[in-house]
Amino acid sequence: MENLKCNNISKSFPGVHALRDVDLTILPGEIHSICGENGAGKSTLMNILAGNLQPDSGEVLIDGRAVKIESPQMAFTFNIAIVYQHLSLVDSLSVAENIFANRQPANRFGFIEHHKLHEDTRQLLDSLGLIAIRPDTMVFRLSPAEKQMIEIAKALSRKPAVLILDEPTASLSHKETQLLFTILRTLKESKVAILYISHRLDEIFALSDRISILKDGRSQGTFMLEELSREKLIATMVGRPLNVLKDFSHSRPDVLLEVSELNGAKFKNISFKLHQGEIVGLAGLIGAGRAEIARALIGVDERKSGTIMLNGVSVYFDHPRDSIERGISYVPEERERLGLFPEMSVRDNIVSGDLGIAEERGFYSVPKATRVAEKSKNILRIATPTVDQKVMNLSGGNQQKVVLAKWLLTNPKILIVDEPTHGIDIGAKFEIYEILRSLAAEGKSILIISSDLPELLGLCDRIIVIREGEVAGDLPRAVATEEKVMSLAAH
Amino acid sequence: MLKKILEDRVYSLLLLLVVVGIMASILFPNTYPTFDNFRQILLNLSVDTIVAVGMMVLLISGAFDLSVGSVVAFAGCLTAYLMHFYQLPVPIAIAAGIASSMFIGWLNGFLIAYHGINPMIQTLAMMGIVRGMALMVSGAGIQNLPYWFNAIGQSKLLGIQMPVWYMLFTVLIFSFLVNKTVFFRRFYYIGGNELAADLSGIRVKRMKVIGFLLASTLAGIAGILLSSRLGAALPTMGRGLELRVITAAILGGASLSGGYGKIPGALLGALFMGMISNIMVLGRISGYWQEIILGVILIATLWLDKFLQKKYAPIT
Repeated sequence: MENLKCNNISKSFPGVHALRDVDLTILPGEIHSICGENGAGKSTLMNILAGNLQPDSGEVLIDGRAVKIESPQMAFTFNIAIVYQHLSLVDSLSVAENIFANRQPANRFGFIEHHKLHEDTRQLLDSLGLIAIRPDTMVFRLSPAEKQMIEIAKALSRKPAVLILDEPTASLSHKETQLLFTILRTLKESKVAILYISHRLDEIFALSDRISILKDGRSQGTFMLEELSREKLIATMVGRPLNVLKDFSHSRPDVLLEVSELNGAKFKNISFKLHQGEIVGLAGLIGAGRAEIARALIGVDERKSGTIMLNGVSVYFDHPRDSIERGISYVPEERERLGLFPEMSVRDNIVSGDLGIAEERGFYSVPKATRVAEKSKNILRIATPTVDQKVMNLSGGNQQKVVLAKWLLTNPKILIVDEPTHGIDIGAKFEIYEILRSLAAEGKSILIISSDLPELLGLCDRIIVIREGEVAGDLPRAVATEEKVMSLAAH
Repeated sequence: MLKKILEDRVYSLLLLLVVVGIMASILFPNTYPTFDNFRQILLNLSVDTIVAVGMMVLLISGAFDLSVGSVVAFAGCLTAYLMHFYQLPVPIAIAAGIASSMFIGWLNGFLIAYHGINPMIQTLAMMGIVRGMALMVSGAGIQNLPYWFNAIGQSKLLGIQMPVWYMLFTVLIFSFLVNKTVFFRRFYYIGGNELAADLSGIRVKRMKVIGFLLASTLAGIAGILLSSRLGAALPTMGRGLELRVITAAILGGASLSGGYGKIPGALLGALFMGMISNIMVLGRISGYWQEIILGVILIATLWLDKFLQKKYAPIT
């Protein structure tokens, strides 16, 4: 293969332009990194190259010839292999069966030749320096890091000309990361084109020949490694003119929530205070443990130690029911999976946080529920013809408003919102900011978890940065900048 | 209007029942549209329907229980055993029979909700265990039950056998509860999205236990009623009932993945199956065909669902 080229690739999902006119050229024998914030479009681009998604417009060229990659199987025929961020291994099968899934060596009667299967696997693992892993080990017995290495071995077993890696080091230790780098450099010498996605800037600078930067689905250019400094890279990734949110603060002196020395499975020694009317942001990389902190606060996950004081009284919740009753509501991330009842109506969703509000004389009343839902619909301007509509038919932004409406009806003193604007368009984003700000003005406290930095900087009175489960910094609005937050969040 | 009817299973099934009823009346004018025939159809489906009401609640929450058929047998046999061999008073024996079915339901729900055992495996295993227990208690069957016990299922009101009234009563009560109480509406949310329901403050595990407890209790009541109607308790009672009941509930609008279904649908589903078998008996069609035709109808219903792209959520 001479080169792989993307020309003017665009891709939209309901409510978002994931990619807009992206150009990219990948050459054999180079390690090409793709950088960008969460939601910049990196994974969408990878999935187009891997055949999981089809671009709305634009074309992919291999050696100057336009090709359509319609399925992952087709990507293999073009010698493109991808290592997914989320593992694609089958836990109940052996290492060898996973690596050669669906193409195990067979004899002429179609029976699998186990001996050869294991030998081939042994050879492959040895060549990658994975001497400690046996081909017949069941995958569920492997550590997350070993699984990741098997995932990489699986991709390499196809002897690809293009290898795509999406956050491969997220679960690897330092030692395995170094092993992976050695493997990648060897592949580079044998003229494999490597496309590398990572949030870890150190890795990108240690590994890349060239770096392409995406921001909000647009390409910001491709640079030689020597052309970029760390600062310039961050500035290109995040710098966008979005300081339209005006300065304001409704923070009052009384402390509503005080968390001290909170420890859990994915975080340790978390301490912070939340004042009445204050908006506090939790910044950090995906997987830093922010959602887990929220889940421990409302009693979904167990906490190992630490205290949570609400209005000066120590509280312990063992189910979200308790936290809702005490005035803490949590608007979860991934609204389709955790926040919505997709096949139920807008009305049923809106009243779901507190079914009691739809009661009339002790019995559930559909007309009462409809009135409550209509009222929320008007206040939050939810665009739906009727509240009978199934919520799955609404756009992302309107779905998010439904989720917000539901939690506002529980009348919380503290609202925890997790990625409230993920995957919704800019107009709906600003409406949601308005709602959050007016809640703060009413004296409610808001804890907002977001991977969208400009959003946090525009909304929050304070930003707490979480890195690998620990508080890495607590920045008041006056001193918080994207660069400061990023350098605290990454390492 | 027609679209609304097609989208709501309770109405579309009702429409279908009327059409089938009219056609059968034309085909068998002397035997089909008679009070006696309908009384018989209703009597035959009364036990199934009482169990189907509990199953409907479970299906709404996204679960099902395969052990209900065995519970029908065990509760009936245990009640008869206590009356026959220990001369316990009728009410106490009945209370013991119901309590045993409640315990079985609680155990199912507890192991499934709190210990993560797969509902299908749990209730399949329980189906075998409970059937074995029914055989142990009753041997070849227990006859000569007390007069007052038999009177429960064999007397009549307004010319219609009591089991039919019990069935209608159960359907009415649970229609009201499921429609009108916050407590029962939670099952729709659990079936709609279990994770979201838990985050919404619904204690999902506790509700699941209650769902299994309810389904099993209704099965126990149905079993006691059946042995009263038969005047005997047989360990083979309720064999295959679990699948008939699930079929009726699915025909009546439930979905195996949860979130859908109404209580009247359970009755209409059972009624539809009862009418089809009745018509085939009148038409002297072999019993083999009945099973084939019911299977085809079930698949056709689900297939039709795929085509009626539902835009509006049913008003549950």
